[in-house]
Amino acid sequence: MVNPIYIFILALGAGFLLSLFDKAGRKVSMTIFYAVLAGMTAISAQWFIALLQGAEPTLIFTAGFKPPFSINLQMGMEEAFFTLLVNALGLLSGIFMMKKLQSTKVNGMILFLMMIMGINGLIMTRDMFNLFVFMEITSIATFAMIGIERNLKALSAGFKYVIAGGIASIFFLIGTIYLYRFTGVLHIDSMAAALDMASGQVAFLSVFILLMALIIELKPFPANGWALDVYESVNSGVVAIIASASSAGMLFVLYKITPLLNDSLLLTVAGIGLVTFVFSNLIGLKQQKAKRLLGYSSIGQIGLIMAAYAFLVHLGYAQNSTTVMLVTGGLFITHFIAKAGLFWIAGIVEKENLEGWSIIRKKPILVFVFGVFIVALSGLPPFPGFFAKWQLVMTLTSKGMIFVTAMILLGSFFEAAYLFRWLGKVLKTESEEYEIKATITQWIPLSIGVLALLGVSAYFSTLIPGGASLKILYLPMLLIVALFFLDFLPAWVKNTIVILLMSFYTWQLLPGLEGYRFLFGIIFLVGGVLLFIPGYIFKGKRVGFYPFAVMMYAGLAGLLLAENTLQLFTAWEIMTLGSYILIIRGKKSEPHALSYMLFSIGGAFIMLMGLGLFYSVNGQSFDLALLGSITQSTGIIFVLLAIGFLTKIASMGLHIWLPGAHGEAETDVSPMVSAILLKAGMFGLVVLMSAIQNPMIGNVSITYVMSWLGVITVFGGNLMAIYQEDAKRLLAYSSVGNLGYVLFGLSLMTHLGWLTSITYALNHFLFKAMLFLAIGGVVMRVKTKNMYEMGGLIKRMPISFISVLIGIIALSGVPPLSGFAGKWLTYNVLIEKGWVLQGVVLIIGGLIAFLYCFRLIHTIFLGQLKDNHRKVKEAPIAILIPQVLFIFAIMFFSAYPGMVLRPVGDFLAKIFPQGAIDWQNGVAFTAFGHWDGLGVLMITGVIFMAVFGWLLLTNRKTQKVKQFNIVYAAERPSRPELTHVGYNFFAHYRKALGVLSKPYAEKFWDGLSGIFHSTAGFIRKLYTGNGQTYLVHIIVFILVVYAFAMGG
Amino acid sequence: MGFEPIKILYAIISLFIIFNVGMLLNGITRKIGARVGRRHGIRFYQPYIDLVKNYALRSNISHGIMFYLGPVFRLTGGIGVYLFIPVIYGSQYFSNFSFAGDMVLVLYFIFFGLLGMALGAGESGHPYSALGVGRGLAQVTAAEIPLVIAFLGVAMQYQSLSITEIVGMQQGGIMNWTMMTNPLITIVALIAFLGTMMRSPFDIVLAPQEIPIGPPTEFHSTFLGVLQTNRAIFPMAKTVLFVNLFFGGATNWGILILKAFILYMVSVVVGTVFPRFRVDQSIRWFYKYVLILGVIALIATTFMFK
Repeated sequence: MVNPIYIFILALGAGFLLSLFDKAGRKVSMTIFYAVLAGMTAISAQWFIALLQGAEPTLIFTAGFKPPFSINLQMGMEEAFFTLLVNALGLLSGIFMMKKLQSTKVNGMILFLMMIMGINGLIMTRDMFNLFVFMEITSIATFAMIGIERNLKALSAGFKYVIAGGIASIFFLIGTIYLYRFTGVLHIDSMAAALDMASGQVAFLSVFILLMALIIELKPFPANGWALDVYESVNSGVVAIIASASSAGMLFVLYKITPLLNDSLLLTVAGIGLVTFVFSNLIGLKQQKAKRLLGYSSIGQIGLIMAAYAFLVHLGYAQNSTTVMLVTGGLFITHFIAKAGLFWIAGIVEKENLEGWSIIRKKPILVFVFGVFIVALSGLPPFPGFFAKWQLVMTLTSKGMIFVTAMILLGSFFEAAYLFRWLGKVLKTESEEYEIKATITQWIPLSIGVLALLGVSAYFSTLIPGGASLKILYLPMLLIVALFFLDFLPAWVKNTIVILLMSFYTWQLLPGLEGYRFLFGIIFLVGGVLLFIPGYIFKGKRVGFYPFAVMMYAGLAGLLLAENTLQLFTAWEIMTLGSYILIIRGKKSEPHALSYMLFSIGGAFIMLMGLGLFYSVNGQSFDLALLGSITQSTGIIFVLLAIGFLTKIASMGLHIWLPGAHGEAETDVSPMVSAILLKAGMFGLVVLMSAIQNPMIGNVSITYVMSWLGVITVFGGNLMAIYQEDAKRLLAYSSVGNLGYVLFGLSLMTHLGWLTSITYALNHFLFKAMLFLAIGGVVMRVKTKNMYEMGGLIKRMPISFISVLIGIIALSGVPPLSGFAGKWLTYNVLIEKGWVLQGVVLIIGGLIAFLYCFRLIHTIFLGQLKDNHRKVKEAPIAILIPQVLFIFAIMFFSAYPGMVLRPVGDFLAKIFPQGAIDWQNGVAFTAFGHWDGLGVLMITGVIFMAVFGWLLLTNRKTQKVKQFNIVYAAERPSRPELTHVGYNFFAHYRKALGVLSKPYAEKFWDGLSGIFHSTAGFIRKLYTGNGQTYLVHIIVFILVVYAFAMGG
Repeated sequence: MGFEPIKILYAIISLFIIFNVGMLLNGITRKIGARVGRRHGIRFYQPYIDLVKNYALRSNISHGIMFYLGPVFRLTGGIGVYLFIPVIYGSQYFSNFSFAGDMVLVLYFIFFGLLGMALGAGESGHPYSALGVGRGLAQVTAAEIPLVIAFLGVAMQYQSLSITEIVGMQQGGIMNWTMMTNPLITIVALIAFLGTMMRSPFDIVLAPQEIPIGPPTEFHSTFLGVLQTNRAIFPMAKTVLFVNLFFGGATNWGILILKAFILYMVSVVVGTVFPRFRVDQSIRWFYKYVLILGVIALIATTFMFK
């Protein structure tokens, strides 16, 4: 094997000789340059592979003496890994910068090599003074490379960099001198041993000074203004190295000197990391410039890694224990690749503002790459950052560090917020005609980066504890990957493939499911297959739709199969990611998709806290079956998990994302996310509540609180629905209301209550899918969503009208259709439980539903047909087919409610044995009343036919008249716009209800986000851009930290 | 007590009786209204003449299929509501089709006709129809609040949703009627009764005195005839329901008609005395005072009968 010293020899040798070779031509020197970088990478790679296979770490001695008398280098597992990353990144960034290096003097390449070599030195050396030397080499080379862009911004950033670096060096040197004075050695390992003997205030101070030097290099908040300027203004290839490789080097130095740190210093490091993470992400919220935003994110990530590492070591995990490796490794590798990749993209885009980045839409693959990096950074599966965060939260909560966990999640939330805002802008902002150019040398590093990240993700997911159980997701994941590769096919081909494969998967999966999982399986998977049918209306390729649609269903299927918390949470996040991309496809979806994502991520993080607590009280197991047997903090765990699920079912207060997200989505996406996706939250609640049946916090019964939340959701959702002018938003608000019934039913915690809930869920699934399809078809044809711009469409779109008619009858609960089942059960449970006050609110909410139901059908289909809609065609057949199927399903459910509800009752009896429905010949009996679905349907039918016949008999010579032939103040109107009553239809209701009709929830969340933004804006004022101010920051920072460290 | 074919015959008889009672009451009501206003008024059998006339009229125009079906929905709703109520307590044959469902069914079936009629009126394309429907639905949802509260209260009190059972428990003298055992709920129920009877002060939907506004604007001749048939049956169905739930029901037709007449007159008297609410006023009135009263009554009921 090649001695690692050759890394240095190669770099130094080439450094000295490059200018000589350059005389022979730039091609020669460049070849040598890349060969050297490749060689360095190869040496690290070779060692890494050998060490993986069990080779012994090696020590390299120089000058013929053994330490502590001489400098030595070390090549162990960690060093091999880090140098491999750094060298590979150096090589790729070098390739990325090929053009730049070609056009500048040969010094560029030399300095580049020195920079990479310096970082290698930082990683490998075991000598304190040698460390200092490498730090200086790296700094100086970096400074020079910063200047490669010859503009004022870059130069001034470079100068600030030198100031900060200079201070750090001084501190490092002083610290080293003092440590040498106390321990008599410079060799790090011996120093740690010797330091114990020399403990005391002064020894502490000297370690502190040394540590501060490192911390400054790691860009702590708020002493990091200089670094932000560097990130913003420096060449993208260089900044990729600064953000990823240099940080890697400095982190490794921190790792190396950890044995010198006592507990209070460790906590200091952790605290600084945490503060940095939270605050730089908070300020990032306000940032509009892409590279500076990446700077905030980088600083935040480094802070998080520092914090995670220091907290874990503080908790007693060995420096190189699996937990530490997984957590810091996962966070680090994600940051390392994604950040470098994003900076490279910045080099291609060359746009300062976030919106400007939308030009990458000209190249879909670039969008994909960008998306992968953004998603990876926000800590979503399947990327290592997700699993690392999972592991970190589990570990920290199980050790009782709740506050720290909460802060970490808060910071992660801020980061996800600005990353997804950016992604949204890139996906949706209209870009100018500007053409984007990416050379092959820019593509190579990017593609390698993405592939490496995906590869690492797949491997990493198997490493973490419980990772093996994730294999339930492999099959769908494979399909998703395949769909990415097949994305060049026309939409109808992909649609057919997806329908076939998903039907097959459903066929395989469903029979194995039991109880409520089977029921949800039908909603998620059978419903999913049905709702792919409308996909045939789309012409062209529909790029990017199918992988993410399948991703959503993969997540849903994962939920059904989940047996442990890791599976549950991973599936949950996969579902969220897929649905986010689906939602953002709508034309005006950007802000709504963002708010969906923020609520989802926020909810997921709260849920993660709950899962962490669960892990800590159940003897550190992921097993979901233990949920029923925990005895400590049951109430808190219940609440945390429930909030996570409630964000998905959009209960009042957490609902503001829904109307926009569902209303603006594409024709077939709206029913998917409304009829199916919302039930995922319900599924979560069912899992949770069937395990923990009587959650209490103090004396307060949480289910009682939930019952109120449920009824308020019904009232609020339905009330907002009646005021909507936009048909799809009306349906969206109606979903809010309907899921309120579901929540209320569950919160009753009785057999009948849950049956009510499930009845509502089933019905909602059927009629909402149908309504969204029908209205989607109408919107497609008339090209507006405003109901008052429609009217009289019954004559043009009769089948859609019938769907909507059946839909609203089922929705409003009017007998004889199946919606009545829910109403009937509701009254039974209200009497059974005696919760009459909730009942009143619930029923008022139900009554209000009539208003929007009528408005929906009247304003669109009845009244006056508009002139521009006279030639509108019926919706495409692909949209009508599933509607007809849903009509049949509703009719079946209405006629034979027993055949549906009886099996549901059977498995509910396992959870709640008391109070089941007594079925006699299809007639349902409870302790209070009875209902004969088929009987009502038939009696109604007979009466209807009799009256109809009577009317036909007495009314034989009816003639149809033209549209304007009405009794209208003795004249014939001619403009449908003036005679069609549609706009602000329930104005009197708004007037009557006054304060009840105001959107309080939206105000609250707007206010909250305003507070975050203005805080960020205020703190941001620290960064004046003045080098002297930054210097003061650093000094003050060190003093403050010292005060804290001494006090703590 | 399931379905037997003979029941259809009895149902038709029962429907016929109630239809005639309804027609006569409509006539008498208008007569009373006229006399209070110092007019002579119509003959009490005038509604019959109107009905026959409307069915005989020939000018039949239709605005479309929903327009045509609107009155059908309306009358089906009226008949359905009536036929799901057990009319005579203890009589197996005059229990109508109550085997199919309980009072929740009746409560929600009220909307069947309402919604169908609203759709029919909507298709006529007349702005007044749409306005009337908008007002009507809004007011009905408000007026149904006390109705639902009262129903819930009764169901809580008797721990049953079955109308037959509720009537059964009120047997044995006036002191056993809900009116006496639970007067608060009965008051709420009476307010609801007023709200749904389409009489002043809650008659802005039709606004019969001034302009031809309201859902039936475009309906004429036979269509109007069907609607008039319903106007005889539907209010009676509601009245019978209230008699059953709050006033001890009836064991024979004589008692039933007497009770229904008295109850019906409550709405007539109030309607003749009080002026009309605007829609937003009536909604606000129901949401404010009646809702509060209803909640108090409901809480009282749960405490009294626990």
